[in-house]
Amino acid sequence: MERRDFIKLTAITGTSAALTACGNPEHQVIRFVPDEDIVPGIAEWKPSVCPVCSAGCGLTVRIMDADFETMRNGQAGVVAIKAAKKLEGQPTHPINQGALCARGQAAIQLTYHPDRVTQPMKRSGTRGAADFKPVSWDEAIAELAGKLDGLSDRKALAYITRPRRSRRLEVATEFLTRFGAPAPIGFELFGNEVLRKANAASFGREQLPTYDLSSAMFVVGFGADFLGTWNSPVAQTIGYGQMRQGRAGMRGKFIQIEPRMSLTGANADEWIYARAGTEGVVALGIAHLLAPNNSGLAGFAPDAVEKVTGVAARKIERLAREIDEMKPALAIVGGPTLAYTNGSFHARAVNTLNAVLAGSGHASGIGFTPGADAVRPLRPSADLKNLSAQVLLLDDANPIYGTPKGWGVRDAIAKVPYIASFSSFIDDTSAHADLILPDHTFLEGWTDSLPESGSMLAVASAAGPVMKPLYQTRSTPDVLIEVAAKLKTPIAMPWKTYDEAIKAGFDKIGPTAWDDVAKQGGHWTAPGAERRSASDGARPPSPQSPVPSLQFVPPQFDGDVAAYPYYFQPYPSQAFNDGSTAHLPWLQEMPDPMTSAMWSSWVEINPQAAEKLGIKKGDVVEITSSQGSLRAPAVLSPGIGPDMVAMPVGQGHETFTRYASKRGANPVTILAPLTDTETGALAWAATRVKIARVGDADGSLIMFAGELREEPHHHHTR
Amino acid sequence: MAARWGMAVDLDTCTGCGACVTACHAENNIPTVGPEQAAVGRAMHWIRIESYWDGEFPEARMKFRPVMCQHCDAAPCEPVCPTYASHHTEEGLNAQVYNRCIGTRYCANACPYNVRFFEFYNPEWPKPLQVQLNPDVSVREVGVMEKCTFCVQRITAAQIDAKAEKKPLKDGDIKPACVQSCTAKALVFGDLNDPESEVSRLSRSPRGSKLLDDLGTLPKVTYLAKQSLA
Repeated sequence: MERRDFIKLTAITGTSAALTACGNPEHQVIRFVPDEDIVPGIAEWKPSVCPVCSAGCGLTVRIMDADFETMRNGQAGVVAIKAAKKLEGQPTHPINQGALCARGQAAIQLTYHPDRVTQPMKRSGTRGAADFKPVSWDEAIAELAGKLDGLSDRKALAYITRPRRSRRLEVATEFLTRFGAPAPIGFELFGNEVLRKANAASFGREQLPTYDLSSAMFVVGFGADFLGTWNSPVAQTIGYGQMRQGRAGMRGKFIQIEPRMSLTGANADEWIYARAGTEGVVALGIAHLLAPNNSGLAGFAPDAVEKVTGVAARKIERLAREIDEMKPALAIVGGPTLAYTNGSFHARAVNTLNAVLAGSGHASGIGFTPGADAVRPLRPSADLKNLSAQVLLLDDANPIYGTPKGWGVRDAIAKVPYIASFSSFIDDTSAHADLILPDHTFLEGWTDSLPESGSMLAVASAAGPVMKPLYQTRSTPDVLIEVAAKLKTPIAMPWKTYDEAIKAGFDKIGPTAWDDVAKQGGHWTAPGAERRSASDGARPPSPQSPVPSLQFVPPQFDGDVAAYPYYFQPYPSQAFNDGSTAHLPWLQEMPDPMTSAMWSSWVEINPQAAEKLGIKKGDVVEITSSQGSLRAPAVLSPGIGPDMVAMPVGQGHETFTRYASKRGANPVTILAPLTDTETGALAWAATRVKIARVGDADGSLIMFAGELREEPHHHHTR
Repeated sequence: MAARWGMAVDLDTCTGCGACVTACHAENNIPTVGPEQAAVGRAMHWIRIESYWDGEFPEARMKFRPVMCQHCDAAPCEPVCPTYASHHTEEGLNAQVYNRCIGTRYCANACPYNVRFFEFYNPEWPKPLQVQLNPDVSVREVGVMEKCTFCVQRITAAQIDAKAEKKPLKDGDIKPACVQSCTAKALVFGDLNDPESEVSRLSRSPRGSKLLDDLGTLPKVTYLAKQSLA
């Protein structure tokens, strides 16, 4: 064919194709005029704040043009928007210094999730059936205001939220206070109330510590997954990297003591198994050897410690010697070690070890982020046990998923006459709501965080919207302010909008603080420069203070040893932490670093214990406690004691979008409702279970490693 | 002299956290395949964290190793490609031209590192997840082999910027998504032809070794051994 003929032909076929399209309206793509000035192909970067955990890492968001399918005046079409494309760590942010964890990276999928709640909705079916019908914002706000007006006792308004220090939470607290309701209940499955209370006693700061890992020569961890999920993991991992290879010719040593190897324990030079509920005794054993003249520690001689913990006396002596040689040393406690009925003992024991380490003439590795105690206290999570309310507001909390049956939260919530949720997704608890008032995501509205730890600078992070809201959503603090104004007797809130509330907070810090928000997503000051509260400044453990006499109280476990021979440890998973990110597909398909499991639940069993029970990898096992049972595939792990089984938390949602609904099992459902005897916080590592093999591998354990990729998957049969 | 891109991975600081895995998905438009396809071994992770148990309880230890395309100088994936989709660039990258790929999968068979991934189906991003896609990286369709590119789009962008600003590229100017996200700074990327670059310095470390070195593939990724005192 001649070139000319070819062109003619394509012109004709092209035209006819276009004409055909005109005849079929469904083939037309309507392009609406964009609302914003967009330069295609040019990226902008805007600061934001990571919403996933309380660490409050700074973000920089890449913004570019993208096509978004939408409706205008009943007409479906496509419009160009400025869309967030990628989340990266903010390089100048003092907490994450340019880095960002996997959960933070995946947070962008919160905004673009296909199952987001796109507009206010009202319950249309029975409670819990998650049948909703759309309503307008005016209708929704009027309905909520009406319910609040109808309260005969204003104390009957309950508010459940994640205890994340922020101005956002201050708006909610202010609303409740002015309304006459109690403060919000701060609920987090893996909460840190035990350590905060212990730190209040030891250091005068009811706050999580910031660790100076980068200058430590010896770190000893007690159960704390500080490189994975606990406290401020990105900041702590940066310090850890420095400790290992950041100083020429010096490499810090790291020992982890715990009954199940966490991701953090997997990085230790030496992982030491101690019997569940005795970890703090090892800390006091080391402290005793470092301060032999201290009468308060006299009961913790190596032999006595070995008897209680199962850690050889010689090992404890060697550890104490090494610490003495390799100072400065630092002890870190957290996670399951504080989740026994004697959790407070372990916290105090490790604080004591730190006091002894500091007393030996070296700088303490423990500090406290200044100003983070400047927020008002919340009600403890244990208040969920006695929840009785006429109206319940749910803000970023999923207590039905994250509390043991024995707390009766499901029944209590069923009895609440009216529930409104601000959730962007229908989760286990929001499914019971009467009204959903969907929040913007952190990219679409204002967002802020007052990190409790992770930096020795006073950090206040805040950022405005980086893109326009995709749907008919509204910022929750703004909704609260509007509801306050719509009450029969309106409440005068101190701010007209959420961003005004944030700005008021920044104006208190200093005259230039607010300008930094647009520039870098927050304001941070050196300690001593500009302080946010009177109690600012880290108070390291005082070497002079006498070490209090500590009595080891053995932990209580639910279920007797004969019927329930194994300790049960649910643990925060690297992908989902407490389960709140289980609906993000990137995290579902991210292989778990230690097992390579994806899209799965599993039970970790010691290989010798498994052999005794006739359990092989992938076999379906049933775990039973006094509270109930669940089934999941087995994974054999030499990093767990033969007297324990463990399970990651995150899967097993009744409902949580297409990616996480009814996938795997939720270990929280079989937890006994035991609490730390001193603080009343949930002792989530205090349940005993029995375990039985109930079937061959059923394919529910999906691993990335193992088989060749292009081989069909054959399950092992016995 | 053209650059020769390489990476160093410090196994002493890598904690196995998996930030690089998700960062790579976000940057490179890597689809999630869902549980059914993942179960038959079709999940795609251009970078993965390998974990190895060492010893038995209670002396058990775990070792992590992030593995991505090793960008071999003598890459077994390249000569087997009948369409030259899998080829070597002037800057030493093992590149994949998706438009040329006809899906023979010879390259994946030849690769000893198991870092090539085949699109068995067209990728799906239930709307509006597709809005997140990075416009700098092409979305691969069914029948195409894909792999780590060392974030070639970032390399090219930095080179264009440097040229426009008439400034030389500095060591550290280019960070692939995995390197940028790495919290413990275990991953370092740079020009191996620049003896002063950090990656060159680390690659000369006595702790350094190559993955499956004896195969003679001449990888440009150097692993620095875990330096345990225990």
